[in-house]
Order: sequence, then structure tokens, then C-alpha cells
Amino acid sequence: MSRVYLYALLSGPPSCEAGLGVCAEPLRVVAVAGLVALVGDVAEPPAPSAIVLRAQDTVLRRLTAGVEGVLPARFGTLLADDAALADVLDRRRAALTEALDRVAGCEQMTLRVWGETAGAAAPAGPATGGPGTRYLAGRREAHERARRVPELEPLRACLVDLVREERVERHDRPPLLATVQHLVPRGAGERYVDAVNGARAALAPWRVSVSGPWLPYAFAEAAA
Amino acid sequence: MKTPTRAAAREILEQTDDSMLDLVDNLLNRGVVISGEVMLGLAGVDLIYLRLQAILCAADRVEQRR
Repeated sequence: MSRVYLYALLSGPPSCEAGLGVCAEPLRVVAVAGLVALVGDVAEPPAPSAIVLRAQDTVLRRLTAGVEGVLPARFGTLLADDAALADVLDRRRAALTEALDRVAGCEQMTLRVWGETAGAAAPAGPATGGPGTRYLAGRREAHERARRVPELEPLRACLVDLVREERVERHDRPPLLATVQHLVPRGAGERYVDAVNGARAALAPWRVSVSGPWLPYAFAEAAA
Repeated sequence: MKTPTRAAAREILEQTDDSMLDLVDNLLNRGVVISGEVMLGLAGVDLIYLRLQAILCAADRVEQRR
């Protein structure tokens, strides 16, 4: 029995023929709950391999080139049938529509920050108050620190015109210190790379690697 | 369902160019999750996550050689 494999939610139908998916299945464009879903019918979900992951990304890039908003699905998203898909989309319609609006006309660039020391985030302030206060202050500091990338300060002024949104993930496990995802207007990838390359000297001792443009995978979350 | 082996995970993650690394991260770790009921239990994915950190470090060395 086949099930429905979800590739992406789109703001409108692709401008080209759907073609085949990663399991060589014919792709379908399903309009449900005011959303457009790109799906394939598969007997079982594809196993993750380098070839399959690359193929899924390639399928999505091909079909979404002319589509304003794209929310790529997490790899392996499988539903029982079209009715189950419609049910899920209907229940999440508001959040998904909002997420599609947020990424409309944008693509993702990925920065990884590398260094030999455990990051440049400022240490916590002096501990004051009772144990409970200090505990809460520590929790807040850890929470805020997880969203800060002071290593990138020399780069920020160069990117301010390009970056619409940012997602930060601190790793602090040298050499990998942080991953920063930036949502930029489509077509701005080259300017973004130029800006990063122009700031490399100022970023020392930290190093950055940049990849993209990607579909906005890191910005494709929708509020529950 | 076909279960990826250790060798398959290694095959994915030992292609250490940045774009492959970020491709794995983007497809397996990000993207919209439309429902908690969606079947995401792909065997082998945990294994890939475990090895991702090691490969991220390897990617740094690739970067330095450029």
C-alpha cells in the first residue's frame, strides 16, 4: 500500500512539470486547506543516503525555482494518505501560512564559526543574591548566550542590508563554535559571500565557512 | 523499510565538503515538521546525528586547506 511522502509546502504551484521524486515516483501537486503540497506516493520512505539526500534537494530546487514561498519538509515526512495530509494541513494552516509568508522570496545562507577556544561570549556577571536567584540568573545567562555570536560582530555591519532573519545554534565544541543561518533575499547569495570574504581578516582569530544558497530549511519551522 | 547500515552513515558523512555537510544537516535536522504524528522514525538517522559532530570538525580541516 502506498503512502504519501511530503517534499514541501509551497505558496503556489510549480511553474514546470512535476516530474519524478527520489523513489522515481511521479510527483503530485496537491492543493489542500489553501496550501499547495508537493508529494509523491511511495511504498516506504526513502532511506537516507548521500545520493537520496542530494536528490531530494535537487528535486526541490528544480520545482521551486519560480515559487515565491517554500517550506521544505523534514526528510522522511510520510503520511497515510491525502486525507491525513489535508487534516494535518488544515489544523496547522494559520501557522504554516505565516511561515510561508516569512520565507517568501528568500533563501538561506549558512555560516559556521570555527576556532580553537570555546567562544567569545562574555562570561556571566558576578553572582549575587541567594541560591535561587543565582540559579535563575545562570539559566537566563545560558539561554541568552545560546543565541549570541559575538565572534561575528565585525561581520554584522556588512550583512545588515542582506539579512532578514537569523537562527543561531552555539556548539562551543572547538573547533566548531556556532552555526548561524541567515535568511536573505533570493539572488543575494553572491553579495553575502563577498561580504563574508571581505570580513575574514577582521574576524580573526575566528574563522568562518559559508555555504548556500539553500532553500530555507532552517526557517521552515511553524509554530505549533 | 531498508535500514541504512553503519557503512551507509559513514558514506554520507565522510563526504566532507561543506555543501554535503550542510545538505545532511538541512534535510535531516531542519525543515518543517507538520505534525507530531508524522512518521519520522527513520532507522539510521540517529547514527548520522552522532557522527555529524565528528564530520563538522573534519570539515574545518577541509576549510583550512583551501
